[in-house]
Amino acid sequence: MSEVVMKGLKKVYDNKVTAVHDVNLEIKDKEFIVLVGPSGCGKSTTLRMVAGLEEISDGELYIDGKLVNDVAPKDRDIAMVFQNYALYPHKTVYDNLAFALKLRKEPKDVIDKKVREVAEILDITQYLKRKPKALSGGQRQRVAIGRAMVRDPKVFLMDEPLSNLDAKLRNQMRAEIIKLRSRINTTFMYVTHDQTEAMTLGDRIVIMKDGYVNQIGTPQEVFNKPVNLFVAGFIGMPVMNFFDNCKLLLEDGKYYAEIRGVKFLLGDFQQKALKQINAKSCDIVAGIRPQHVTVGEGELSAKIEVSEMMGSEYNIHARTDKDEVVMLIPTVDLTTDVSMGKTINFTTRPHLIQLFDRETGNNIIWYDAESAANNAPVCKRYDF
Amino acid sequence: MEANAKRLSLKKERAPKKKMTKEKRVRYFKDNSPYLLMVLPAVLVVFLFNYLPIYGVLIAFQDFMPGDKILSDSTIWVGFQNFERFFSDPQFWPLMKNTFLICIIGFVIGFPLPIIVSLMLNAMKGKKTAKVLQTIFNGPHFISLVVLVGMLTLFFGRYGLVNNIAAHFGGERYSYFLESSAFRPMYILSSNWQDFGWSAIIYIAALSNVDPQQHEAAILDGATRFQRVMHVDLPAIMPMVSVMLIMSIGGLMGVGYEKALLMQTDGNLAVSELISTYVYKRGLTGVPDQAYATAIGLFNSIINVVLLIIANTTSKKFSENSLW
Ligand SMILES: Nc1ncnc2c1ncn2[C@@H]1O[C@H](COP(=O)(O)OP(=O)(O)O)[C@@H](O)[C@H]1O
Ligand SMILES: [Mg+2]
Repeated sequence: MSEVVMKGLKKVYDNKVTAVHDVNLEIKDKEFIVLVGPSGCGKSTTLRMVAGLEEISDGELYIDGKLVNDVAPKDRDIAMVFQNYALYPHKTVYDNLAFALKLRKEPKDVIDKKVREVAEILDITQYLKRKPKALSGGQRQRVAIGRAMVRDPKVFLMDEPLSNLDAKLRNQMRAEIIKLRSRINTTFMYVTHDQTEAMTLGDRIVIMKDGYVNQIGTPQEVFNKPVNLFVAGFIGMPVMNFFDNCKLLLEDGKYYAEIRGVKFLLGDFQQKALKQINAKSCDIVAGIRPQHVTVGEGELSAKIEVSEMMGSEYNIHARTDKDEVVMLIPTVDLTTDVSMGKTINFTTRPHLIQLFDRETGNNIIWYDAESAANNAPVCKRYDF
Repeated sequence: MEANAKRLSLKKERAPKKKMTKEKRVRYFKDNSPYLLMVLPAVLVVFLFNYLPIYGVLIAFQDFMPGDKILSDSTIWVGFQNFERFFSDPQFWPLMKNTFLICIIGFVIGFPLPIIVSLMLNAMKGKKTAKVLQTIFNGPHFISLVVLVGMLTLFFGRYGLVNNIAAHFGGERYSYFLESSAFRPMYILSSNWQDFGWSAIIYIAALSNVDPQQHEAAILDGATRFQRVMHVDLPAIMPMVSVMLIMSIGGLMGVGYEKALLMQTDGNLAVSELISTYVYKRGLTGVPDQAYATAIGLFNSIINVVLLIIANTTSKKFSENSLW
């Protein structure tokens, strides 16, 4: 059992900069949670408070039900992997792995067994005698992970562990972390600024901005049910298209989204949800994911500025009167000429349109006022 | 096998000869002319003041009188006579012993001191306090030797602070400057006091390059503050320590004459006469015997060079660090 519970966690640096405001998060046993957000949003600070490397300015932190605010890092039973690996440069790989156990005064044969076991899992046995200098980035990363593994921690903390690797290696290591996770079966807290990493690794994702948590949810939830414009824009590649100055219309008991003069009758689910929350006609920002655009037919039209053939799909940048629209069209679905300079018609499936309140930026359907007020925002639940 | 051998020999043949052709040399100078021009003044100064005077060591091998030209028709070459005179000088062993003791004791205390101080300052929690302390520790370095010895007299002279306190409590006044036994402790400790902060700077600079994440990793690994110093900080400054060690061993017997001379009295002459003070006295005071003094000085320098080479070779053999 190793849950991590944060209650109103707050960090103020030097009595001036508030890096983290009131984070409330319950990480379940053996859960893989990913903190994601743009640079400077307070992810590392949150993680470092859990590690005990930063003092907690306010709030409570429980690991395994025990309040650990004032417990020394080494007694929290956590291990951390750092972005730049932070290996001891003068020690061999073996000694890097063994160091924590040596400090704990474990017997030599126990240390040796543990180190070799971990080295085997991470496939670094042949490098045990080398110094970190003589390893590649990926190998160093493995050693850094191994150093955390030998300690059998309750919680595994990782701060952007892959961001020093090149793209190819990063994909490879990402897959390895997924594999690793199934082997060591412990609680993970993982920090990244890369939404792809967050989506592929996390059981749940915590999206942060300016020291506030914006949404906590599964990858599906944050992708399909973003609670506000920020989450909608941050999650998903390419970025969601936003159409400002649109309208949500309620006519004869039916809800419509009006985008650039074109009225879309919203889907069944949206009708029910909007009815339940008793939504009125209002100004909105409409959001459409590039993957959800279809071209060829439709009343909306745009001129293609850039058209990139990516193999299985076309990545198209087009411009309407006011908006720039990005479309991701599977090549097999394409019947229209999408070369540059052409004007095309496009549309979307109405039930996929996201509706954001123009004033607050909150998703009209998915924003949940109650959880947001508790600073643990999740998407709203409907019982249909 | 044969093919392999053939390939190997081929490789050997093709190995590029490392010789600069004339055009290459011209191009090298052309390409690097701005940089060469920039180092030129430094090279000139070093040549003028450090290399040119080496010419003067020639007089160690001459029967030289003040006013003589170093090289002329009337130069009398005497070979190693001046050195032989020194080796049979009754002062030879006392000089060697005094110089060696002052240097070796000073080194044994003075070498680790700045390392320990820098590690302690670096490990301090309050970074501001550490900065203030460091500044305070640097202060004594800027005191001139004359003032320093003046301070020593103020403290340890017959009517100095220490004696006044002793007298106040009914003790006897004690002339530290006239006692042979007090000379070395005063000399060495005041030197170390003067320079430990200054010498620590280089280590503090090296320590500031240590990645803080390494300390954090060690904290999470469960290392105490002391263990972090031993496993993170100390290894990080080890290359610097070896270089400093080589350089100090190289300069081990090269103690200057100024301070010893300033502290010298008839009472402590037996221990305060060093090679350098003796060179000064024989070469520049009384009836100057410059050839003799030069021979002694040269002998001293040769000892230093030999020590430096030994230290560097040893270091190269046992670690990755060396001066050359
Ligand atoms: N030691 C520090 N002192 C003062 N401010 C800091 C310190 N560390 C981080 N900050 C500030 O706190 C905010 C959050 O930082 P951080 O948690 O490192 O962000 P992230 O990891 O999400 O990029 C930033 O605005 C940063 O400037
Ligand atoms: Mg960070």
